[in-house]
Amino acid sequence: MNIAEIPNQIQSAVSLVRMLGAPLEALLVLASLVVAVIAIVPALTGWRRGALLGITGLLVAGEALLVWFHWSLNRAAVVIDPSTGEVAARVAVPLWIESEKLYVWALLVAVMGVFARRQRDELLPGIMLTVSVLAASAAVLGKPFTEPLPQFLAQYDQYVQATLSGVPQAVVGAYEGMLNGVRFFYNTPYMWVHPPLLFFAYATFAISFVATLEMIRYRHSSFETTAYRWARLGYLALTIGMLLGFPWALAAWRGESWWWSGKVNMSIMMWLLYTAFLHARLYLRRKGMWKWVAALGILSFVVLVLTYVATYVVPGAHSYA
Amino acid sequence: MVELEDIRQRTWDFGLTIATVVLLAGLGLQSFAGTIYVWWAQTTIPGWEQSSYGAYVEAMNAIAAPMLVGLVVVMGLCVPKRLLSRRLLLWASLAMVALGGVAYLASGEIAVGVAIYLGFAALIQIAVVALTLAGTRGPSYLTEGRLVKTGSGLLHLGFIVFGIVVAVLQNSVAMLPVFAAAAVLMAGGTAMSFYANRLSWRRHPESRHEHPIDF
Repeated sequence: MNIAEIPNQIQSAVSLVRMLGAPLEALLVLASLVVAVIAIVPALTGWRRGALLGITGLLVAGEALLVWFHWSLNRAAVVIDPSTGEVAARVAVPLWIESEKLYVWALLVAVMGVFARRQRDELLPGIMLTVSVLAASAAVLGKPFTEPLPQFLAQYDQYVQATLSGVPQAVVGAYEGMLNGVRFFYNTPYMWVHPPLLFFAYATFAISFVATLEMIRYRHSSFETTAYRWARLGYLALTIGMLLGFPWALAAWRGESWWWSGKVNMSIMMWLLYTAFLHARLYLRRKGMWKWVAALGILSFVVLVLTYVATYVVPGAHSYA
Repeated sequence: MVELEDIRQRTWDFGLTIATVVLLAGLGLQSFAGTIYVWWAQTTIPGWEQSSYGAYVEAMNAIAAPMLVGLVVVMGLCVPKRLLSRRLLLWASLAMVALGGVAYLASGEIAVGVAIYLGFAALIQIAVVALTLAGTRGPSYLTEGRLVKTGSGLLHLGFIVFGIVVAVLQNSVAMLPVFAAAAVLMAGGTAMSFYANRLSWRRHPESRHEHPIDF
């Protein structure tokens, strides 16, 4: 394996994803605007399902491009044992990190919106607005196609440069650093289960939030049931996802300050709020209780958004800040 | 007379739910305050992680421990309410808290006191789940009510076992298997509680379980 050729292989994959993805990113922003307008304007009610299907198709096409990109990276990005010259690992970069997090969230909400059956017509405008905000944010802030995986590419480039330098200490240090990244982050089974479950939960909670708003608007108990059904699905995924983060953190962050860190605190708060929400609704028949349940539903989702934002703002082991 | 007992039971249940929500809110507020503090400390105090992180974690653990114990006490009073008498449960809970307190005073470590308390709570919870299952007769028992109760018992047992892992098993070889048991109990219990109707042999249309709200 000639390590000097790897940067060229990665660069050609990056170039292709940029070339195909740049118009897709622009199209996503435009589609988000159109979807938002169709969701809001009553005269365009008949276009709603088609608009949601359209932006979902766009997101799925983009995801297919990203899957190809990650597969190409997996073929090219290897970690070579300096003592034997053999390939010690291939980096499997997950599809829900760095610049692709918001994209995955948008995609999941869109797909759920397409497949949702119960009270779909009533929920559609809210789901469409959520998808348009997430998709536009993914394109403008995340830039998954024009600035793909900046941290991974920088980290891997450093590893290659250190390996090519031939300085024994630098080569061994770079190898061990990259191998740790592969073992405890990119390739670990936790990484392939923990974040997807959380994003799945985030998507269901977004739809539950829309249904809660509809309950407040229409004052009809069937919306509360819809909000509960989405929330219980999300709560199950959230609970399993968060639980799986615990042994992973113990293994990957041994000696680091992760316990009671900002992101962990926010995640615990979010879980507690959804727990309270699901408990409080048991007493909906009591007069005025629905207001508390609605308030908890809204507060829980606000905290969910803050938990996501905390990753970029509050420093710590679990953070990009 | 039956109606009065029913009203008492409902008031008791409602009180326990309110206590649960208040304790969850307390832990939530603590988490929020912790986030703000960490944010402030890491951005304004140079080398905070090296100098003060340990003390911060100890303080957070000390604040959370009584609320965690309170939550488990409420769970203990709540779940088996139709299996054991309320008076017996209250006395058992008080005795367990006292034993945990003695263990804390003897060892000087909050984690040990919490773990002792949680150990007893786990035993009671196992008994509750066993009694729930033992109260079933034949395949026709799989009604939603029975499944919900069993699921709830398993979920609460998983929560208690997870608490034991966090309190005392983080650096033990037993951590992973015990954690796995807690995860299975919590996930399985949650699924059983939420989807009892779909898992039940006697399926009912879910619309029956809508809560009619007096807006």
